[in-house]
Amino acid sequence: MLFSSQQIDTTAGLKAEFKNKPDGQFRPDIFRVSGYEKGAADPALSTTVRRALAIRSLFTEPGAYIYKNDLIAGSIRPMFVVPDDAQNAAAAKYAAEFPERWFANNSDHYAPDYRTAVETGIPGLLQKINESKQTHQNEPQKVDFLDSMAITLEALIEKFRQYAAKTDELLRGLRNGDPAAEGYDKGRLEFIKANCEALTRGAPQTFAQGLQLVWMLHHCFVCEGRYAMALGRIDQYLYPLFRADLNRGQTTDTEAEALLANAFAKICETRFRGGDDVVNICIGGVDTDGALAVNELSYCTLRAVRDVNMPGPNLSARIAPGTPDAFLDECLKVIGTGLGYPALMNDAVNMAALRRYGYAEEDVRNYCMVGCIENFMQGQQPPWSDGRFDPINYLEKLFLEPDDDIADMAEFMKRYEKQLEKAVEDYVNATRAAAFVPDPENQTMPFMSCFCQDCIDRGLDINMGGAKYPSVHGAALMGVGTVSDSLAAIEKLVFEEKAVTLSEFAAALKDNYEHYPELRAKALAAPKYGNNDPFVDKYAVWYTQYISDLFRNYRTNDGGGYYTAMAANISNIYAGAGLGATPDGRLAGRPLSDAASPTYGCDTRGVTSTLLSVSKPDYSNCACGTVVNQKFTPSAFVDGKREKLLKLIRVYFERGGQEIQINSTSRETLKDAMEHPENYPSLVVRVSGFSALYVTLAREVQEDILSRTQHEEL
Amino acid sequence: MAAEASKRGPDGGANDLLNVSCVQHFSTGDGPGIRTTVFLKGCNLHCPWCHNPENISPLPQTLVYPQADKRVSYGRRRSVDDVAAEVLEDLEFYGLNDGTPAAQRGGLTLSGGEPLLQSAVAAVLVRTLEARGVPAVIDTAGCVRWQYFEPFLGHVQAFYFDYKTGDEQRCRELLGGDLSLIRDNLTRLLAAGEPVRVRIPLIPGVNTDIAAIEQICAQLTAAGAGSVDLLPFHRLGSGKYAALGIDYAYKNTPPPGADVIDAARKKYEQYFDCRVE
Repeated sequence: MLFSSQQIDTTAGLKAEFKNKPDGQFRPDIFRVSGYEKGAADPALSTTVRRALAIRSLFTEPGAYIYKNDLIAGSIRPMFVVPDDAQNAAAAKYAAEFPERWFANNSDHYAPDYRTAVETGIPGLLQKINESKQTHQNEPQKVDFLDSMAITLEALIEKFRQYAAKTDELLRGLRNGDPAAEGYDKGRLEFIKANCEALTRGAPQTFAQGLQLVWMLHHCFVCEGRYAMALGRIDQYLYPLFRADLNRGQTTDTEAEALLANAFAKICETRFRGGDDVVNICIGGVDTDGALAVNELSYCTLRAVRDVNMPGPNLSARIAPGTPDAFLDECLKVIGTGLGYPALMNDAVNMAALRRYGYAEEDVRNYCMVGCIENFMQGQQPPWSDGRFDPINYLEKLFLEPDDDIADMAEFMKRYEKQLEKAVEDYVNATRAAAFVPDPENQTMPFMSCFCQDCIDRGLDINMGGAKYPSVHGAALMGVGTVSDSLAAIEKLVFEEKAVTLSEFAAALKDNYEHYPELRAKALAAPKYGNNDPFVDKYAVWYTQYISDLFRNYRTNDGGGYYTAMAANISNIYAGAGLGATPDGRLAGRPLSDAASPTYGCDTRGVTSTLLSVSKPDYSNCACGTVVNQKFTPSAFVDGKREKLLKLIRVYFERGGQEIQINSTSRETLKDAMEHPENYPSLVVRVSGFSALYVTLAREVQEDILSRTQHEEL
Repeated sequence: MAAEASKRGPDGGANDLLNVSCVQHFSTGDGPGIRTTVFLKGCNLHCPWCHNPENISPLPQTLVYPQADKRVSYGRRRSVDDVAAEVLEDLEFYGLNDGTPAAQRGGLTLSGGEPLLQSAVAAVLVRTLEARGVPAVIDTAGCVRWQYFEPFLGHVQAFYFDYKTGDEQRCRELLGGDLSLIRDNLTRLLAAGEPVRVRIPLIPGVNTDIAAIEQICAQLTAAGAGSVDLLPFHRLGSGKYAALGIDYAYKNTPPPGADVIDAARKKYEQYFDCRVE
């Protein structure tokens, strides 16, 4: 052990330090100014070099900040400033002259190639850049771009020096009784100093140095103003260093967990500038040879995220058919704390989906996620972009000019498919236009390009052909439940029972069912997705296949795939807000069904039926990923009960479910459900011989459950 | 199957239909593994703390929950094939072919109400599912004629046998049942080597004092029981009473505290393999 238990148990201490928020604004643009000014002094410099100079000032001017509880250093605190008018004006001028890319044209939501970074180290990458300059010596534009990459890496080395110098300053302060050093720990400071210094000289030699490197790189991306930068498969790319430490007897699982927690906790620093980041961390799955990849570090990562217990580190667990039950059980234990992580990903389905896009098999096996659930080839393709596609809107169009001559459901579906065909084409054109950058050589990303295969070798920017694979775009299909339920209601009421004509239905929808309570009752009583009823489930199968097929006809600007997703965050609420009443009985303005889940409250037969329905579509169509949310009360996560959840998940995955996000309802949720029962129609309480919908329970009984929940919290 | 199903049901109802209150998928408290619990409607006892009051009357009932804007109807005559098909939808979840030992597999749980009141038709359901490898747990209060047990002997994964009191007078007055019948049935089941788990609801004021527990322990020991499950009282059912428009005698009774549960467990542990659900 390098530390005493008191020295490594830092999470609570860090959280306490976070309570003291920095003053001012998080302003990367302010720190770029001096770099741009230096560049402006030399008119011969290219834009990419001038951008690199701005990155250099961005990385090196704010200075170092080390928390008293830091084991792994790198803080955005010095990035907060209170600029004066002149500084603001200068920043605005350069921001206009050097516009940054944004989400729609591939700027963030990226998983950098941390594996190569850890194996090679920063000096090693600089060496590679030099070699590439030799190779491309007759291609001045490439040499210039490689120079700009080198400037940013040298700035990073300078940053490590600054952090080492900061530890020196604090150590001196400790010796001299300087009040500024009060509360700092000598052992931790020396540890940080040694790690930062080592990283200026070469590749990391220990797990702690590897993690320090990765964290500092992540920190630099955050300094650049990027959001949703993923850490990717940290249990894989840091494992060789961890294993070597273990073999030398230089570390333990507890220590690795503490170091990881110390780094992950700082993800939550983004709260200083409002809101949580979404930093995806991926564990488990298979390795590049296809062998099961869960290792000790997977467990350490899982527990570290639990220890941090804050949103920000967004943990995903890849579950392969052979992934040990012990690992899945450990995931359920963490979920049972109420954290909601990790999201459980079906490896078999995700890999089948990615194989459709021609990636090398070893790269497919090495996928991770960015953002919430978006599948990504770590460090091998430009940053992610996506958008919202609302198939329900094009169903609505069929009711604007209803045609009562439509003879049967098959013909109705043909009309709908035609609408969708055009809609997908429009969507693709719009997103391609948004992603198009007319002068990409003026919008390079030299720092990020250092961490993407094969930008260094090719001497090209990540967005200009440097990346091994082209950019992909994810179309998030909204409302599979709403669409399926609506089509089922149309088939049942219009074509099967002939209870209503299309034009009558159209009139009722336009009227928001106000004068059509009977029709609405019938619409609500029609079969609903999520009850294992083939009558309606077939429409979800069709939806997934048909729309994904349409998107597969298209390519992004640089030739990558158009993936589909069924994931919503809360976009289903926005998508529903602007939409009129729908044939499933939904009233105007109400949310659409969420992600790949059935319409909330409509899956009434229990979770097995829900999952039987939801596993019918072929999700190998959805290379981006899908989300199915399920809530359970904390009693489902206790010893002796978790195995039932485990079996449920295994069967769901065997049947081809792609993802499941399980939540243990917290006390806060249960309290909220008492006040807002309308938002919790499906929350079930289970005990022996009994189960009930939570919202139907008498108030004092809900109180009983609340007090039980307190006791059961793990 | 048709021949057997035509036997007259003891509830006097349609003779080849089950009077089903509701079917609950993914039940986690009603036996090993993942269970599909079929609640049968109608009970011959009237325990005042009952948490399933909608299953006491054999007649269809609708519960109205104004606060949740919800109406739920209970009670439908359903054929064995129909119910079996619904249970079989969950087949993959029971773990029949994944190496799970037989005693730990999921499957059907018949609960109620008193499921044995529909013994003949219920037994057809159990055997239909048995033929597909799906095991059954019978959750019974045991206060029925022995003949109602007979069709299940040798065909169930376990009998979950409620034992609520050891006091004959209390049993008669509170539950409306004959304790000697319950005791005889339990003794015969155990003597026949049937897998039985005795389940004891811990009801404050009824069976949580040491004297009451000692009395139950003595009777269970005499009957040959080896294990008991303790089910602490909860008043989760009080919303259902309100929705039925019935007053619930236990609506103001809080669940027993950890000290009460612990004391009971310690006592039972002196005699039995005991677990608290």
